[in-house]
Amino acid sequence: MAAITVDKVTKKFKIPHEKRTTLFKNLLGIIRRQLTYEELLALGEVSFEVERGESFGIIGRNGSGKSTLLKILARVLYPDSGTVVVKGRVAPFLELGVGFQLELSAQENVYLYASILGIGHKQVDKKYDEIFEFAELKKFENMKLKNFSSGMVLRLAFSTAVQVDPDVLLIDEVLAVGDEAFQKKCAVKIDEFKERGKTIIFVSHALDSVKKTCRRSLLLDQGRIIALDDTRKVIARYIEILEPK
Amino acid sequence: MTELWRYRELIGNLTAADLKNRYQNTVLGFLWSLLSPLLLALVLYLVFRYMFGQGPDFPAYLLVGLMAWRFFASGTTSSLNIIVGKSSLVTKVYLPRQILVLSNVLSVLISSLLEFIVTIPILFIVLGKLPMTTFLFPSIFLIYFWFVYGASLFLAAVYVYLRDLDQVWEVLVGALFFLSPVIYPLVQVTENTMPFYLLNPLTEFMIMYRDVMIYGKLPSLYSLVITVAASAAAFIVGNFTFNRLQRRFAEEI
Repeated sequence: MAAITVDKVTKKFKIPHEKRTTLFKNLLGIIRRQLTYEELLALGEVSFEVERGESFGIIGRNGSGKSTLLKILARVLYPDSGTVVVKGRVAPFLELGVGFQLELSAQENVYLYASILGIGHKQVDKKYDEIFEFAELKKFENMKLKNFSSGMVLRLAFSTAVQVDPDVLLIDEVLAVGDEAFQKKCAVKIDEFKERGKTIIFVSHALDSVKKTCRRSLLLDQGRIIALDDTRKVIARYIEILEPK
Repeated sequence: MTELWRYRELIGNLTAADLKNRYQNTVLGFLWSLLSPLLLALVLYLVFRYMFGQGPDFPAYLLVGLMAWRFFASGTTSSLNIIVGKSSLVTKVYLPRQILVLSNVLSVLISSLLEFIVTIPILFIVLGKLPMTTFLFPSIFLIYFWFVYGASLFLAAVYVYLRDLDQVWEVLVGALFFLSPVIYPLVQVTENTMPFYLLNPLTEFMIMYRDVMIYGKLPSLYSLVITVAASAAAFIVGNFTFNRLQRRFAEEI
């Protein structure tokens, strides 16, 4: 059964020749009849399906539309045409620590971040010690976040985020940050989610981890699907377009 | 609406975080936020008492008007850039985006209720007595809230597309301050402009607050009808505009 069905999704961005976001400039533009913009095709008639429990990779060069596609799946962007059906609860990891507030303590931030990700207060209570132990920040729970190093913030965000119990995980490059030890932890957690039968959409430039995580993948270039197949074949095709003969 | 209910915990957390941010970072915290309107009331009183201050309840009149005004002014002004200001909650995660505006207006509402509570003993000192109806003031907030929330939804959504709306709004708020009976009594308004003057719903809100907190009267039916209708209209227009415009928020920020 398909967990995600994407059907002929098209998304265009309008890029004005001049940046015109004030009322004053808009009026000026109307008077001078200069409301010109270019359309950039971010995604063109993209269609694919992802089965339940499948780990699915999305690769492509910078600007190929990977992040746009992921944001549409996360319902942050709306497609211009086409339909997207995602069954079950979605946990979008487009960035770790969304909504963290520097003036609040680590403890307050954990509860705030958890509620942004849709984790209830009671569940955080239950997992509270686990979160701080996993982040190795037990001593600092009452410290304000502004006094944390970026590594500590990242660990805190990650330990909280992995408490979600979604049906579908959307992962965008977030794991490319942090040191070796952190990346290992992330890889272990992703495997855990896989074993629990979660559907995972994985966007990355790290071809090795895509190969390890995903059986099938999709290759985007200039907003269009170039290849949709077994991950090995897709990566081979990707390397071809990266190094034209 | 049902979707917002599912996110009630998040709304609560965002509101609390907002209040903490507002009060924690200054030395006197909450005291400051109370002190500044009270000091402003004092200044306005000293300046205008000879012009409008004939009645003995002028200080009370001024204080209630100013407190009521502040909910509208700070509610809408702080909501204006809430979508742009909390961009990561718009571009990196799915939430019903009204939540950002709602939790901001709720936190301003709580501040406002606290300001009113502190105003009550001052009213007692100034008036020498307190009418029984004083304690009905929270029920006016029940109507007023939807007016401010609706206006805030509209402003926050439009600001994403037109970034100089904050300048425009600052001027409009400044004008509305003088177009509403905050510092002067209604009798000062000339008769032929009165019909237009009364179109401003803020006027009716102030009349209602003063009726219950100073004059010991229940709000008139007329005031109730006007304010409920204005609040419903503000909410419907604000909500509709917001829902229309929010589809492209993530691209425009």
